[in-house]
Amino acid sequence: MTATTGQPATGEHPNHNLTGFIIFLCSESVIFLAFFSGFALLKTSALNWLPAGVDGLEWRMPLINTVVLVSSSGTIWLAERCMAKGNLPGFRAFWLLTMALGAYFLYGQAVEWGGLQFGFTSGVFGGTFYLLTGFHGLHVATGVFLMGLMLVKSFIPQNYAGGEQGVQATSLFWHFVDVIWIILFVLIYVWQRS
Amino acid sequence: MSNPSGRSRPPISSVGLVALLGWIGLLIALSWWMAQQAYRWLPVQASTAAPLVDGLFSFETGIGTFVFGAVVSVMVWVVVMHRAEKYDETDAEPIEGNTRLEVVWTAIPFVLVMAIAVYAIQVNTRLGVLGPMEHIHLANPVEEQGGYPADRLPAEQVEVIARQWSWEFRYPDANVSTTELHLPVDQPVTFRLVSEDVLHGFYIPAFRLKQDVIPGRAINFNLTPTREGRYRLRDSQFSGTWFAANQADVVVESQEEYQAWLQHAAHQPLQPGLSDAVGEYGTRKQLKNPGWATVPPAPPPQVNVPGSNTLPHDA
Amino acid sequence: MTPEFMTSATFPASPPENRSWTRYFGFNTDAKVIGIQYIVTAFFFFLIGGLLAMIIRGELITPAADLVDRTVYNGIYTMHGTIMLFLFIFPVLNGLNNLLIPTMIGAPDMAFPRLNAVAFWLVPIFGSLLIASFFVPGGPAYSGWWSYPPVSIQNPLGHFVNGQGLWLTAVALSGVSSIMGAVNFVTTILRMRAPGMGFFRMPVFCWTALAAQSLQLIGLPALTGGAVMLLMDLSFGTSFYQAEGGGDPVLYQHFFWFYSHPAVYVIILPVFGIFSELFPVYSRKPLFGYVYVSLASFIIVGLGLIVWVHHFFTSGVPQWMRNLFMVNTMLISVPTGVKVFAWLGTIWRGKLRLTTPMLFCLGGLFNFVFAGITGVMLATVPVDIHVSNTYFVVGHFHYVIYGAAVMGIFAAIYHWFPKFTGRMPYEGLGKLHFLLTFVGANLNFLPMHPLGLMGMPRRVSSYDPEFAFWNVLASLGAFLLGVSIIPFLLNMVSAWVRGPKAPHNPWNAIGLEWLLPSPPPEDNFGEHVPTVISRPYGYGTGEPLVENQAEIERQLTLQEASA
Repeated sequence: MTATTGQPATGEHPNHNLTGFIIFLCSESVIFLAFFSGFALLKTSALNWLPAGVDGLEWRMPLINTVVLVSSSGTIWLAERCMAKGNLPGFRAFWLLTMALGAYFLYGQAVEWGGLQFGFTSGVFGGTFYLLTGFHGLHVATGVFLMGLMLVKSFIPQNYAGGEQGVQATSLFWHFVDVIWIILFVLIYVWQRS
Repeated sequence: MSNPSGRSRPPISSVGLVALLGWIGLLIALSWWMAQQAYRWLPVQASTAAPLVDGLFSFETGIGTFVFGAVVSVMVWVVVMHRAEKYDETDAEPIEGNTRLEVVWTAIPFVLVMAIAVYAIQVNTRLGVLGPMEHIHLANPVEEQGGYPADRLPAEQVEVIARQWSWEFRYPDANVSTTELHLPVDQPVTFRLVSEDVLHGFYIPAFRLKQDVIPGRAINFNLTPTREGRYRLRDSQFSGTWFAANQADVVVESQEEYQAWLQHAAHQPLQPGLSDAVGEYGTRKQLKNPGWATVPPAPPPQVNVPGSNTLPHDA
Repeated sequence: MTPEFMTSATFPASPPENRSWTRYFGFNTDAKVIGIQYIVTAFFFFLIGGLLAMIIRGELITPAADLVDRTVYNGIYTMHGTIMLFLFIFPVLNGLNNLLIPTMIGAPDMAFPRLNAVAFWLVPIFGSLLIASFFVPGGPAYSGWWSYPPVSIQNPLGHFVNGQGLWLTAVALSGVSSIMGAVNFVTTILRMRAPGMGFFRMPVFCWTALAAQSLQLIGLPALTGGAVMLLMDLSFGTSFYQAEGGGDPVLYQHFFWFYSHPAVYVIILPVFGIFSELFPVYSRKPLFGYVYVSLASFIIVGLGLIVWVHHFFTSGVPQWMRNLFMVNTMLISVPTGVKVFAWLGTIWRGKLRLTTPMLFCLGGLFNFVFAGITGVMLATVPVDIHVSNTYFVVGHFHYVIYGAAVMGIFAAIYHWFPKFTGRMPYEGLGKLHFLLTFVGANLNFLPMHPLGLMGMPRRVSSYDPEFAFWNVLASLGAFLLGVSIIPFLLNMVSAWVRGPKAPHNPWNAIGLEWLLPSPPPEDNFGEHVPTVISRPYGYGTGEPLVENQAEIERQLTLQEASA
């Protein structure tokens, strides 16, 4: 049970950013888990879940948003493939497309928020709705920002010659944000009857 | 504790064996004595729940004393007998472990705690029969009785209202309200616990029972007092500035005395009940530099009989 | 030291030149500097938290609320708990992690040195924020370190900036700092071990640190989520925890304890690691059952995550849940028992040296076993119903946290002080410190148990006269504990300033950190990380820990002789 080979700790210091980032993402997912379970608990035990005058959430536009976000996971994958093949212009094109899809998602979210007849303080229903979608939206915005950063870095000559952990990390983060949204969509928009 | 090494262990001498067994016997005797003592550390037993809880606690004290005594015996023995000689810089015999011993000392605590757990679950189940503590929702259309069989419906129902910082007790059948809780001895009673502001804890140490009072919920809680006397009810869930002063007295009396008290109370006019917080808040306001901010106390409830919370109490 | 050692390509690296002490006050990325920064900062806050404890025990020496106003008392006990947990015990343990993890596994530094420094500097920032809350209108948070709503969101003055809001912000920042630290420690342990150091050749302290930091990563986000919702209820008018808006105050208790119960294991697991490191050294025997002790940490992690409901058995949880969480809780005593028995097996027939660190370990083990027994009592629902939220609980967790954890931390400080400062602490003062701490802690915390059994609730600023006797004893114990810190501080300061120079391995201990000069150079082993060839704690086996051990030790001794 012993005698596994240790890591090469000598010489150049290997880069552990990706390991650290994965550990961080695992931890981050617990916040969402906490919010999701809180939402489920409050919803199942509530007597009057919807505030007066509200009879549910419109799901068509969020569904379009969902499709947009899910497909952006595909485009970021294509961008990564281009990078792996050394096709930097292709990487930039797909990367930019992913950013555009992310931005559209945020726009859609903002439009939806603008059209709602309940606010942040309208009981637990309003509170949890804005908390969940807002906290997720924050992550989407962070993702778009990180992608912008990586795009700029790709113009530094030779910077991405040997692959880039930042791109992998950003892409991983983007998939994470995507998966969280699918769960969120099911919880908030699909599960409307209590 | 036997020597874990199999190789060079000197066979334990018969004198040593007798001494070890004698010591274990002494520890068992000590544990037995401590288990009996445990009852004396607790307040008087004044409800049907109390003997059950105390019995479990005594059992745990006995087992705990034995485990603690055994571990400390080993530690003291080692510290006294196995010290390095002065200027002895050498290492001891390298014993790296013993799988059989590991299995044994995984199994022993497992068996011990499972024994305690089985006992505790049994007590728990009996306590559940004596007084279900599961909550129901305030706005629940059907007023549940906590699910106990019809033949055990309690004789008396009392509504308990917890506030920052006073306790009010209402007897709906007699149309009486008070700030001193009166209960007939040996009669099951159901409380309906509500809070008007924050979390409180309904705790009567002599009854060994405690239940959080949660805003937005009405909690049904029942118990049976078994001993006449005057006991303390304390707030057990921190409720703000005058949390410590949020106490009331519980008077357990015979059925006749209880009925007489109820009759008398029903004829009293409403008057302000007990609230130490209100009094202290008044004096505090006179001070130039009273301290940090506080929520003002709720006004004392209007009751038929304020009662007292300064008389000597049994527990 | 001679110049050829400084330029020599052979191990060992020379001890560092005299660097300026000012590096302890700046943004430094060396884990050994950060470790000492953490520990010193933690003890600064320990003194503040201790002072608050003195006021608490001063108030409780008489039944009436007569020393301070009740609002002040509530603020003080809240801040005592908060400071001791978030500003003393977590930072001091992170300090030990910083000092010990890289040196024990032969890494030059942490995986993310800059992140490490940021994580540390957040501590004085949120510490100041918390202390600042004493001076805002209305005073600091007063709802206990649990901050249960609705009391915590009552905000009597109605100001937007209030003690509770600052408290929540500080705790959130503490969470950010802890997560940064945890990511760093876990990555370092997983990726930067010396050649040959497989998981089952890793020192137990690193095992327990890995376990504890994994718990941080899993548990802390839940508290953060719960605290965000509490802050919104307090400051922005939502009603997640308010019954009037359809919320549920008990939901917060789930979030809070999902983290805060495991937090106890975050505290005690590294202390188990310290015990496992030190008992072998001062008994001159290998750790008994190394593999079982290592794995038990992760069993504790698994079980520790599924026991949180035992903190609110009285809040109306259904019977089946009470039974389930009771059994889970009691099962924790099995892996814990494995560890306790392993330590007993280690000292059994050893050659004990009752040095200061060993005394603290033995005292800590004594207190821990006692706390474990009251812990099993608290786990059983019927007894818990009676004693929950009473002084019995206060006594129990002070035995765990002060009696076991803080004593273990003192043991660690005395043991590794020579390694990281290059100076020897004084034995006489150390033993005096031990005696005062052990007597003070027991005198302070033992009387709390009878008080709880009699029915004295915790967090009270006044109490009925029948509780006076035990409270007087507890207060005297507390004052003794207050005094006990004096020989410690005296020892640390004078030893660091003018103590005798420490050799590289004053305790004749086995471990990579003892193959470094005292104090170690900035990048530890640098290019010359030794290859580990056997398990740790090979006392008496005669097996070397690393390749070329004799040569490395000879070089270190030569270096010391020529210094």
